[in-house]
Amino acid sequence: MSAGGSDNHHPLHERLPEPPRHSLDEPTTPRVLLILSSVVEKLVARNDKLMVELKSGSSVENHLRKSLDTFHGVRTPGISISKYLERIYKYTNCSPSCFVVGYMYIDRLVHRYPDFLVVSLNVHRLLVTCIMVASKMLDDEHYNNAFFARVGGVTNAELNRLEVELLFMLDFGLNVSSGNFECYCQHLEKQVMIFDDGLITNGVERLTITNSIDDITELSVENDVQSSSPSEI
Amino acid sequence: MAVAAPNQLNLTESSTWGSRSVDCFEKLEQIGEGTYGQVFMAREIQTGEIVALKKIRMDNEREGFPITAIREIKILKKLHHENVIDLKEIVTSPGRGTDEHGRPDGNKYKGGIYMVFEYMDHDLTGLSDRPGMRFSVPQIKCYMRQLLTGLHYCHVNQVLHRDIKGSNLLIDNNGNLKLADFGLARSCSTDHNANLTNRVITLWYRPPELLLGATKYGPAVDMWSVGCIFAELLHGKPIFPGKDEPEQLNKIFELCGSPDEVNWPGVSKTPWYNNLKPSRPLKRRLRDVFRHFDRHALELLDRMLTLDPSQRIAAKDALDAEYFWTDPLPCDPKSLPKYESSHEFQTKKKRQQQRQHDEAAKRQKVQHQQQHSRLPPIQQTAQGQGHPPMRTGPNQNMHGNQSQAVGGPGHHYGKPRGPSGGPGRYPPGGNPSGGYNHSNRGQGMGGYGSGPYPHQGRAPPYGSSGPQGAGPRGGGNYGSGGPNFPHNSGPYGASGTGRGSNLMPGNRNQQYSWQQ
Repeated sequence: MSAGGSDNHHPLHERLPEPPRHSLDEPTTPRVLLILSSVVEKLVARNDKLMVELKSGSSVENHLRKSLDTFHGVRTPGISISKYLERIYKYTNCSPSCFVVGYMYIDRLVHRYPDFLVVSLNVHRLLVTCIMVASKMLDDEHYNNAFFARVGGVTNAELNRLEVELLFMLDFGLNVSSGNFECYCQHLEKQVMIFDDGLITNGVERLTITNSIDDITELSVENDVQSSSPSEI
Repeated sequence: MAVAAPNQLNLTESSTWGSRSVDCFEKLEQIGEGTYGQVFMAREIQTGEIVALKKIRMDNEREGFPITAIREIKILKKLHHENVIDLKEIVTSPGRGTDEHGRPDGNKYKGGIYMVFEYMDHDLTGLSDRPGMRFSVPQIKCYMRQLLTGLHYCHVNQVLHRDIKGSNLLIDNNGNLKLADFGLARSCSTDHNANLTNRVITLWYRPPELLLGATKYGPAVDMWSVGCIFAELLHGKPIFPGKDEPEQLNKIFELCGSPDEVNWPGVSKTPWYNNLKPSRPLKRRLRDVFRHFDRHALELLDRMLTLDPSQRIAAKDALDAEYFWTDPLPCDPKSLPKYESSHEFQTKKKRQQQRQHDEAAKRQKVQHQQQHSRLPPIQQTAQGQGHPPMRTGPNQNMHGNQSQAVGGPGHHYGKPRGPSGGPGRYPPGGNPSGGYNHSNRGQGMGGYGSGPYPHQGRAPPYGSSGPQGAGPRGGGNYGSGGPNFPHNSGPYGASGTGRGSNLMPGNRNQQYSWQQ
């Protein structure tokens, strides 16, 4: 994808030398973020290609504008998805589960609006908005929109607009059950296995949750050899 | 609990909220005002149904969409029960402007976002504060049973209300009682492992475990509040009107005895126990103080106001208490008397008109020339709101709010919330209730509802800064912090502009005001 600049399709795993640890205070990016950015990058790359193919058809552009006007940027931001997620994580310190829930919100959007393509022109705004809303939902302590806007590289006013747009597009369907959450964790693992077969051969770290989703403040990331065959969702 | 199947993506909601415009409703009058937003009584044009519209304040740019509103909507979306307020839909007001490209849909929420609730005539505080009001025993049982039924429903759905108090219990003219204002509510897991903020629940109804700094808690916190309300109904006035946290705890200990490892195993490990424990052991006097109560009532109250949350009675068990199953039985809600609706804004308006009338009459005597003075009454002038007290046009409400808000503790949507509403700023016991219809109080004073005099207002200070300064790292740089900062109250969750106003810097901003 073009957003990645020099990053190719497997930039994340180069940064995975050390085994994951439990503490969130450590400077390394939690594994869930790496998996997530990999999955989102693949999605965007695929959709970008689709867009190029469809570009000759005139209606596509209009179609997209209508449904996702608010999230669409004029240019592709010069920061890769993985770097962007890392940045959000680093500065907002929101719990890793917010990233998973943020991803779930994107997925819900895609399901609600089948015409909605997550592409490199909108993915950054989508991510920061979804993660921020997830953080508002999950974390009793969280940064405000102004801070997220600074981290995300959008104006406060724009992020507020995006937030409201997202809330209505999701029809305020922000509830996430723990079962649903776990499914997504498994789904993310599976995605990684599909795409990166060979890179991660065994001992896929399982993303587990310790609590009912609404009270998650921390997503523990641990080794679990038994999770190598997650169920289909 | 209606847990979604793991794969279910919540895609099947029938109607999409936000698709309709607020223009589908005809605004009748404003019935409340708060940091959260204004509350209007309105009629749905198509059906004629009367509803309450709560406007969500969107003018705090830094916070974005208020987290209290997000949580309230999220939670009410999944709660559907006859004793829980029904959030019917969300409507938007498109605003008149266009975006920078001249497209009219550029910012379709600019005009405002409203939550549409079923309309309720009263709240419990307002009703019980009416002069001469006395609830009958079957009536109290009826309300209590509905309260417990609604709360039990919340609890089995893993929702903690976290702000149970009289002004959040709405009552309609069919005697139905419904829990409202879920702006502080949150889902809870059954294992109570998560750390939750202890800065919730209006002080007078806050349980000892929260006052002692517990961050792991469960449905028992709401049951304490229920106990306080129950006692209040029987006793005729609030039983723990503390003005700050230490005093609140002392009042509790004086009635319920001091906690120790015997009656509350683990209490000494609560964060603030060593700072706040009573200097000498106190005996539990509850059964003695309230010995005149009905035996079964006292029995139930005793179990609700149990210090140890793990021994406190649960809503389900309370519903099985003898109290509800012995004569006189709880009455049928429909058999309850119907009370004239008296919203704060209505009575204020009436009062204002009356005063104008009186003054006009006076002026006619004294100054024959000056029929319609443009000067506001003295109280208003003093409050710096120079509105002519003319007939209340549609705009009057909004301006009236400001006057009212400044006017101090007389208005019923006014209530301190959040850390800046520290107790020191209010005369003890002079805080307004969150209710909107016990406005008869102070009526004879002739002032703008209250003037500078402390009322015997009932709502306690909320969220006064804890002695330990604990609580989440909220405030400061961390934006909205816990869910209890920019907060709402009042029946539909509107709280006072007065005290809370410095939490919401954009308070004066009428940018998103109702389309006239």
